[in-house]
Amino acid sequence: MPARKPIESSDAAELRPAPGRSALRSRIDRLLVLVVLLAIWVALSATLGSYWVGSPWGVVTRLGIDLWSSVWHALGFLAGTGWTESPLGLTTRPTNLASGGEILIHASYTLFEAVAGFLIGAIPAAALPFLLRRLPIVTAIIDPFMVGGYGAPKLALAPLFILWFGIGIESKIALVAITVFFIVYFSALAGIRALDAKLVQMAQVAGASERAVARHIVFPGAVPYIFTGFRIAMPYSIGGAVIAELISANRGLGYLIQLGAMNFDTTGVFVALVAVTCIVFVGNWSVDVVERWLLRWRPPADAKAELAS
Amino acid sequence: MAAQPLLEVRDLGKRFAARAGRDAPAWVIQGLSFSVNDGEFLTIIGPSGSGKTTLLNMIAQIDTASSGTVRFQSQSAPLNDPKSLNPGLSCQIGYVTQEDNLLPWRTTLQNVLFPLRVQGRLNDKTRAHAETLIRAVGLAGFESHFPHELSGGMRKRASLIRTLVYDPPVILMDEPFGALDAQTRAQLQEDLLRLWELGRKTIIFVTHDIAEAIALGDRTLVLSRAPARVAGEHAITIPRPRDIRGIMGHPEFGTLYQSIRAQVQ
Repeated sequence: MPARKPIESSDAAELRPAPGRSALRSRIDRLLVLVVLLAIWVALSATLGSYWVGSPWGVVTRLGIDLWSSVWHALGFLAGTGWTESPLGLTTRPTNLASGGEILIHASYTLFEAVAGFLIGAIPAAALPFLLRRLPIVTAIIDPFMVGGYGAPKLALAPLFILWFGIGIESKIALVAITVFFIVYFSALAGIRALDAKLVQMAQVAGASERAVARHIVFPGAVPYIFTGFRIAMPYSIGGAVIAELISANRGLGYLIQLGAMNFDTTGVFVALVAVTCIVFVGNWSVDVVERWLLRWRPPADAKAELAS
Repeated sequence: MAAQPLLEVRDLGKRFAARAGRDAPAWVIQGLSFSVNDGEFLTIIGPSGSGKTTLLNMIAQIDTASSGTVRFQSQSAPLNDPKSLNPGLSCQIGYVTQEDNLLPWRTTLQNVLFPLRVQGRLNDKTRAHAETLIRAVGLAGFESHFPHELSGGMRKRASLIRTLVYDPPVILMDEPFGALDAQTRAQLQEDLLRLWELGRKTIIFVTHDIAEAIALGDRTLVLSRAPARVAGEHAITIPRPRDIRGIMGHPEFGTLYQSIRAQVQ
């Protein structure tokens, strides 16, 4: 067979937006918005006083001192010298925000609760619709209960979970898991339902077994939907952990918020809030990175929007 | 005519299930019979809505028939029960559908290798065969592109060779070149004829384009409006290898075209 020169190469693989100018522009615009928000914060703090609204400077200093002491403790731990108490020693010491060096430890508790709860909730939730795919009757039977579970205010379960699992991390993980579960379940279910029957028929004609269809068509097709679920559930997982800590805990960022409020330490509350926000940011970014890698087969968003319009 | 046709469609009929509150639906296809010989290139032409796709779906066993049988190598399978359908008849009937149906999450090469992979026949030899086909249709250099990065014509080629790669004895084609511009379409028709002449598979090629039906086929069936049955049959004796772009100048072409057009109503 004679090899032919590839034709139409010009119209393939185009449409990727050039990153240069517009990316820089949006970065500058974002910076401007940040400056405006900070200005509003400064103005509020100045007019109302730092008793009501912690000043940005105070928050940054507190956070800085805190992080610095954490680094210091960590260095001491690594060096194995007696410069300072080890970080492990810190956790057993009565917590006092003003003493510094503890925000990372509290943040790591909250992060651990959120990640563990997310995994425990999200993995079965993503897997369940696949297991039930061949059992539409079972799916239909459990549907109203799932809708009920989705609609019920999960945060109201926090006191119950604390009663059941104690004030340790177990109750927080349980709350996060149940919050995440229903969100991801319905996303994954939507992914299975959006399955393109023509692709399945094509695969069957080509000799694909039921398992091959599940692996090569059903699952990759549902991944974008599952990730939409992950993206929605991610802030809920951190929010769930923080709220459970607010209600009853002796560690975690929610506990810091509660402690700060009880001590009329507005700056302390703000420090904890900033830390929570940072965790949400990092969480979002991680979902983004994984999603971009898994869904690299999709057309770039801009090209898709153009096609849709 | 050979003694035993490879594939035989007898009294095939199809009507879709009635919806509540409506009259019983009319037959889309009724009493349709024809046969295809081994190595024959049969083109089927019919007006749109005449059940051409439904016919191919029934032959490929991805849709049930309301009546009649399809016999392949003198074996007939029950077609009325969706549970007993055997899509693709255990890889003996390949199907190039109207849409390319490439997996958007697989690269061109992975898409072409897909049937071999799921059939467990992926080895060095079949892989080399796939690469030959990729080069033959001008997709070399695009193996690691995803479908959304290919043009419509390139996607069509990929879907065409995805069926050729596992060498089914019968290939069904449902207006595979329908949505392409004239230039790409002629190019693909040439590619198809070139590949066909190497292997001489049995092809059932459905189209609504009379010129395409004449240019490609050994024989053309004309379907009537719904309910579809065979309205005419024409042997095409234009010698091969054929020149697709010059086919309209062939003396036989004009008369064939006129008589087919008279029947396509």
